[in-house]
Amino acid sequence: MTLAIILVIAAALGLTIVLAIAISRSLQISRPSSPSRKIESIDVEAFRNLVNPVEDDYLRHRLSPSAFREVQRKRLRATAKYIRLAAHNAAMLVVIGQAALAASDPTTAQAARLLVDDGLLLRRNATMALMRIYIALAWPGSGLAASPVLHGYERLSGSAMLLGRLQNPAVPVRISTVL
Amino acid sequence: MLQAHSFLWNYLWVAPNVLLLILAFLWWKRGYGEQLPSFFAFAIFSAIGDLAVFWADVSPSVSALDFWRVAWASLLIESLLKFIVIGAIFAHILRPYASISRVGRRLTSGFGAVLVLLATLAAASSRGDSTVRLISGLHLVEQTVFIIEMGLVLFLFLFAAYFHLSWDRLSFGVLLGFGISACAHLVGWAISANAEPSAYGRTLLDFFGMAVHHLCVLIWFYYVLVPHRVTTKSPVPLPENNLAVWNRELERLLQQ
Repeated sequence: MTLAIILVIAAALGLTIVLAIAISRSLQISRPSSPSRKIESIDVEAFRNLVNPVEDDYLRHRLSPSAFREVQRKRLRATAKYIRLAAHNAAMLVVIGQAALAASDPTTAQAARLLVDDGLLLRRNATMALMRIYIALAWPGSGLAASPVLHGYERLSGSAMLLGRLQNPAVPVRISTVL
Repeated sequence: MLQAHSFLWNYLWVAPNVLLLILAFLWWKRGYGEQLPSFFAFAIFSAIGDLAVFWADVSPSVSALDFWRVAWASLLIESLLKFIVIGAIFAHILRPYASISRVGRRLTSGFGAVLVLLATLAAASSRGDSTVRLISGLHLVEQTVFIIEMGLVLFLFLFAAYFHLSWDRLSFGVLLGFGISACAHLVGWAISANAEPSAYGRTLLDFFGMAVHHLCVLIWFYYVLVPHRVTTKSPVPLPENNLAVWNRELERLLQQ
């Protein structure tokens, strides 16, 4: 009987998720929103500082172990925030890129393809980096390698800029500043 | 009305399968067979299998043992084809996205293996609802299949939603039908195999399962027959920001 209850609850949850996805998809089709409005700016230098191993070493030597763990936890939480934001921006850029995939101009379509690929790669890397951060939050001294996310984000931004330039050659600089 | 072999019972058993055969014909006629041939095979074999089980149920010349053998054969073929369709849809969705296709395939394989393990554990913990192994075994296999199917469909939906992958209409419709069918049938088979329902309760669960199957066939019809809305994609205006540092970084990267 317990197994039946567990399976019924799991099935009900599953059905809710399936229906929610179906409804949200139909809403997206009927009321397309502008994903570019949902992109938020990221202070890349601050993020660089947070993931800089030299900063880690400096703090490790300057602070007591307990103070270091405390500071490191705060830095990791801040890093996770940046990464979640980068992943969110990547998702929005994937949506923008997919909309531009059908462009008649082959160069724009190719740039859109690059943007989509880079966005997906960044989202994947961000997920993995977040998992590492959560592990590192449990063990603050274990070190963190989030730099692949940074490089991925930089590449993605480059793709977005290229696509923006191709779509609107008049305003190349403004496009690049957004990311 | 809600009795075994009533008009409604017979209708719910036969009509969805006849509709499924018509759907298979439409699928082939509209050229969707090239896009997703496995669903065409699923529609044909699933409908024929279910109709064969119905015939075995009502025909006086078929023994009870043979009825369960036909039901087993139908279940195994239908389940195999369902998993082939789900795999084909996943491959179809991932094909344009080289950057995540490998990780997607690995995750699906890993998650599939976990689901098989969980479903096997659930089957091993089930008491079974009949002393005849042919019957209780069939119910447990149904439960196992629906656990794995539900898990895989959910995984695909969540994976695509997380990465914002674009769906084509047919794949989405097929998977939506499978998702609803798997969740609803799992409820039925979980209760049937583990909660020892009364004979009337079992009949009601049968009605529920058949009605859901009918609904899923109608969903598939909707996605095949109703044309998708054509949305005009205008160039997306890219938002502004004043991150000069970031701008310099991008310029530097573009020159690399």
